[in-house]
Amino acid sequence: MNNYFSMKLCAVGENESFARNVVASFAVACSPTLDELNDLKTAVSEAVTNVVVHAYDDGGIVEIYCEIDLTENSLSVCVKDFGKGIEDVNKALEPFYTTKPDDERSGMGFTIMESFMDSMSVESTPGAGTCVTMKKVFGKC
Amino acid sequence: MNVDFKTDGNNITVYLAGDIDEYGVRTVKNDIDKLIDDTKGLRSMVFDMRSVTFIDSTGLGFVLGRYKKLRQRRAELLLRNVPKQVDRVFGASGVYSFVPIVE
Repeated sequence: MNNYFSMKLCAVGENESFARNVVASFAVACSPTLDELNDLKTAVSEAVTNVVVHAYDDGGIVEIYCEIDLTENSLSVCVKDFGKGIEDVNKALEPFYTTKPDDERSGMGFTIMESFMDSMSVESTPGAGTCVTMKKVFGKC
Repeated sequence: MNVDFKTDGNNITVYLAGDIDEYGVRTVKNDIDKLIDDTKGLRSMVFDMRSVTFIDSTGLGFVLGRYKKLRQRRAELLLRNVPKQVDRVFGASGVYSFVPIVE
């Protein structure tokens, strides 16, 4: 059986913890290890943080769609916004690249998403928004 | 996120607790910076992370930011009791080459 949920949240820092914990709770059906669950929480937190910090100047919405596939024991999550978009996605994916160095941003968000999940893709249209899709397969080792 | 401080001569131990994310960092950054600014002759600051429940790259930026601030004051930043999830984020980002772990 497959299962999914979707939700819309106000793009504010206060909701980051809620978002990562909801996705982690949903993933429990895949019997993840604690380390796998922590990796998932960290990656979701990075994606939502990007929306909160970069997508909007005056607040906006973050949409999360999450699906589990019990036949391959995996979870896919899509974190979407309708904000500014990313001018150069390849540049944004580079480790330590940030558009806000004065704000003490580490520029490691996408690198962490990529290394903590099994796959990650970014679709972005300047002026229209960004969608980050990530997948994790549980119990591989 | 909560912080507690213990001063011992020229060294300060900062006990961090809770989630170090975008929201958490905002609540404690100014307190820690004030402590750094107000402590004369500060030589080292230790972040004791045993009660940290979560960190992401915003927390990483916060740690590196304090490292830079302390370095300007010729003081060092050290880490103690790093939990597994925090270690994974720090390990993936090369933080330990700047901010070492102490016993």
